[in-house]
Amino acid sequence: MKAKLLGLLAVILAVSMIVVGCAPAPTPQVVEKVVKETVVVEKPVEKTVVVEKQVVVTPTPGKPQPKGTLRFALSGEPNSLYIPATADKNADIAASQLYDPLVFQDDDGTIVPALAESWEVSKDGTEYIFHLRKGVTFHNGEPFTADDVIATWKYGMGEGSSWPDRYSIAKSVEKIDDYTVRVTTDGPKPLLLVTMHDFWSIIPNEYMEKVGLDGFQQHPIGTGPFMFVEWVKGDHITYQANPNYWREGQPRVEKVIFRFITESSTRVAALTADEIDLTKRLTAEEANQLLSVPGVKVIQYPVARIFYIAFNNLTTGKGLPTEDAKVRQAMNYAVDVDAILKSLFGGAGKRAAGFVASSELGYGVVKPFPYDPEKAKQLLAEAGYPNGFKIDMACPTGAYSHFEEVCQAVAGYLEKVGIKVNLEFMESAHYWDLEAKKELPPLFGDSWADESGEAYNRLKGALGGWDAPYSSWSDPKIDELLDAISKEVDQAKRKALYEELQVYMQENPPFIYLYEPYTFEAMRDRVMDYYPRASEMCYLNKVWLATPE
Amino acid sequence: MASETSPRPADSLLDIQRTWWDRLAFIGRLLWRDKGGMLGLFLFLLVVFSAVFAPWIAPHDPLEQVMEDSKMPPAWSVGGSWEHPLGTDTLGRDIFSRIIYGSRVSLTVGFFGVLIAGTLGMIIGAIAGYLGGRVDSVITNTVNLVLSLPYLLFVVFIAAIFGRSLLNVILIFGITDAPIFARVTRGEVLKIRESGYVESARCAGASWARIVFDHIMPNLIGPLITLATFEMSAMIFYEAGLGFLGLSVPPSVPSWGNMLAAGRQYLTSYPWIATFPGVAIMITSLGMNLLGDWLRDVLDPRLRRARK
Amino acid sequence: MLRYFLIRLGQSLALMFGVLLLVFMMLRVTGDPAALMLPREASAAEIEAFRERMGFNRPIIVQFVDFLSKAVVGDFGESLHFRTPAMTLVTQRLPATVELAATGLLFAVLIGVPIGMMGGLKPGSAADSLARLLALMGQSIPNFWLAMLMILFFGVQLRWFPTFGRGAWNSVVMPAFVLGLPVMGQIVRLTRSTVLEIRSEDFVRTAYSKGLEPPVIYLKHILRNASIPIISVIGVQFGYMLGGSIYIETIFAWPGMGQLLQLAIGWRDFPLVQAIAIFTSTVVIALNLLTDLVYAIIDPRIRYGF
Repeated sequence: MKAKLLGLLAVILAVSMIVVGCAPAPTPQVVEKVVKETVVVEKPVEKTVVVEKQVVVTPTPGKPQPKGTLRFALSGEPNSLYIPATADKNADIAASQLYDPLVFQDDDGTIVPALAESWEVSKDGTEYIFHLRKGVTFHNGEPFTADDVIATWKYGMGEGSSWPDRYSIAKSVEKIDDYTVRVTTDGPKPLLLVTMHDFWSIIPNEYMEKVGLDGFQQHPIGTGPFMFVEWVKGDHITYQANPNYWREGQPRVEKVIFRFITESSTRVAALTADEIDLTKRLTAEEANQLLSVPGVKVIQYPVARIFYIAFNNLTTGKGLPTEDAKVRQAMNYAVDVDAILKSLFGGAGKRAAGFVASSELGYGVVKPFPYDPEKAKQLLAEAGYPNGFKIDMACPTGAYSHFEEVCQAVAGYLEKVGIKVNLEFMESAHYWDLEAKKELPPLFGDSWADESGEAYNRLKGALGGWDAPYSSWSDPKIDELLDAISKEVDQAKRKALYEELQVYMQENPPFIYLYEPYTFEAMRDRVMDYYPRASEMCYLNKVWLATPE
Repeated sequence: MASETSPRPADSLLDIQRTWWDRLAFIGRLLWRDKGGMLGLFLFLLVVFSAVFAPWIAPHDPLEQVMEDSKMPPAWSVGGSWEHPLGTDTLGRDIFSRIIYGSRVSLTVGFFGVLIAGTLGMIIGAIAGYLGGRVDSVITNTVNLVLSLPYLLFVVFIAAIFGRSLLNVILIFGITDAPIFARVTRGEVLKIRESGYVESARCAGASWARIVFDHIMPNLIGPLITLATFEMSAMIFYEAGLGFLGLSVPPSVPSWGNMLAAGRQYLTSYPWIATFPGVAIMITSLGMNLLGDWLRDVLDPRLRRARK
Repeated sequence: MLRYFLIRLGQSLALMFGVLLLVFMMLRVTGDPAALMLPREASAAEIEAFRERMGFNRPIIVQFVDFLSKAVVGDFGESLHFRTPAMTLVTQRLPATVELAATGLLFAVLIGVPIGMMGGLKPGSAADSLARLLALMGQSIPNFWLAMLMILFFGVQLRWFPTFGRGAWNSVVMPAFVLGLPVMGQIVRLTRSTVLEIRSEDFVRTAYSKGLEPPVIYLKHILRNASIPIISVIGVQFGYMLGGSIYIETIFAWPGMGQLLQLAIGWRDFPLVQAIAIFTSTVVIALNLLTDLVYAIIDPRIRYGF
């Protein structure tokens, strides 16, 4: 055996070296090239642009007959297909295909009729009359009427709902007749229709009463383009096209199968091997590497989410240098967010200009902090810390793509201007528990998404002081402006308020503003008319397959 | 089987009659006979060497980030440079230096993990085996309890209390591995107890301490050293698993498990980021397993006889 | 015999009680699911109300007694995340978990035993070196790394096996191989050293001198005697494998117990984690009990001090 063992070992080593050496080695230049070719439209409107490769589009089938099976890989198993119980985006995506809301937010953000054909709003904005669509039936044949709207609202506030406040936004929902419903609110609610689109997915009243919540979750029923077939726990969910769907010519695929693959590199492998048709939430490198795979197209778009490193002036950050606005400005100047984006995300991401995302109302009034370490040092000196200081920082692990590396990079940049950062990482569920208890260190990293098209919820949530669980910052001026926004119905005035707030938050930053991420999705060439939203949601009623098997 | 084996291994390292020089020469001869063991020792010493002399071997600070140089391939492929022999990672840190420094984490985790697991396990196992009866039964059951706990829950629990730190990794391995040491110790102690010579020593009036240190310990050391080597290699291997779960040492600390886990996203586009830490784990683990194999043969004369 | 069995059973139940108490405490120290289950914009008051509703505000002992009194009558609670009975979720994962574990062990035995025997019968030969190397490789390649390399090579490049999931007959091949590899290493070593030992025993020499064909000797005398320790290793490994493998199941998207546990802990789904803990500890304890009983039947001298 003697030398043979050694020999074999040497061979193995050599092989692994060769593997590494021979592998296509994309130099940073290649990455840059891809980025330049990537066209990204700024607005969430039709923001989806196919990168690099365009498929020859065969003419839309003349007589629409649902054809083929769409194999959709989610990044995790949905917890429930009952909308008020959905816990994350995966559940939301899978569930939403089964139902319809009264009003639908179109791809371009406008509210259009769905199960309500039309509606009127009272002058004071507190009363909505919805005229319901006639002749719509649920998957079990039950006709859709006003009672179903009331049931949806009631169940949404009741037991087993994770989102009761999305339903209690309406003070009452009353039946005028079978096809007319009156919804009243406490004062004007600018976000009512959007909320109805997101959450008020109409469920059949009679069926729900008959089978109960548990029975409903076993076999959910709606009016939507797809009908529930089966859910093999841990493995897949199958839907079938609803032949009686009220939207003419939709859906256009006969079957949808959701698979659950947590590991993103496995999703890439499965797509490459043509075992799935469509997948979401890939990393920049994975998207980049899929560009060279024949038969696969890649899309990227900005997500309405902002990453940040939060300061704390409520608990752990009390009495620290970070209570000085100059220090906080300095720390914003010290971090080269663009370099981080370039290295970790292939440049796909946008440096955040404050806490309002680029797709949201009032964006554009302030510019992002430029990378200027000299200015940072000067500001620190002015604030009385020419030699910097020491501070603790925490970040969650396994929560967001590359976020561990981002936090390390931020700490590295802060160190370069003299701020010694003691960075601690925690398992994400434990982290969020501590965050909600305001027990995290004086610097902590996180992100905040918002689907409403405005930054209000994000601002209120992260800056609401003691009232908001995830806030570690309180500033009376910010409170005052947020309060004004919550009461203002006039769009132009809201915009002005958002702008004033952003200017203030630039001078008194409660965060180190990081970036708005892009998300990457990929699909086989045959997948057509797939348009995801900036919220990462997607509706599959228009999707069709160019070459259904 | 027990009757065939003499309780005190004759012709071994532990033979009291030997001088230190004799023992060294003996080890040398044994090593020369087993090239696998030699290779194992060599690989192990290589890792120890790089851990001890890391600051002198590593060309760069393992924490230094140079964003402009990120994702550089190894020196021998296109675009690489000898400035970074094994390339750089996504934050532009030198992979070679991180691997060199990573050996410190691996060895620390392995050494202290085994130290804790070994000490705990030996005490528990020895008590169980020596006292027997009801105590043994209670201890054996408790050990089984620890083994049937969901491992991940335990890991998350330790991580929640101590944060992501070296201490937490050492504790996780130290505690979850103790039952293995306890089992082996218990088994060996039972064997020795049965053999009857402890009984005769006691009859001859030997004190409790004398029995343990003079009669039981020497017989335990062989199997435990062998086990320690294997377990140390296993811990280096499992550290990668913790890295995958995101619960190993903090990501900024250069550890092979973290590097491998972070590099797995780039397996097809920048394969070197994951390959080298993977190879480092493999080589170290391989070396320590070879060393353990050899130690077992050396320390267990029964097997050596059979191999001739 | 019956007395011994009853005592062991009683011990096992006490043990399970201990496991549960420990799991219960450990879970709650790492934070409750309020922060995870409510939307981020929820107010501090809403979070408090949620804790109140779920009973997380009560003293931990009260919570434990409450849980225990329900568990005794078979009510293990409803999963907070999936909104279905927790034990149902666990048993739904059983077929996939057993399939993976059994196939993995089969691999380990089918490859490990012959290789180990080859090595043990001709120590120092090329076959022996190969056996040792394979055993060592099995125990030193980080398994998730190997899994990913295998997906890229056999799944994407060669298209021999599906890259993920449980479906076609061959979908179990890659995950089972990766799962079985370290066990294979263990079996190779064990077989090799046992065969080495038995080879020179008297009854084998007698068999040779009787003029029996070597294959007969290998199978009838050597393998049979070597199989006892191998079977005990398989028993122990099977018990742990039923707890699922987080790494392998995650990489191959295999719907087994490990992924469920990871999900349950990640969401701090207390009832689900507890159900999994009850299940896995029952399996381990049952296997222990079984082994003890078998020993007690084989060797009547064993009475463990009772």
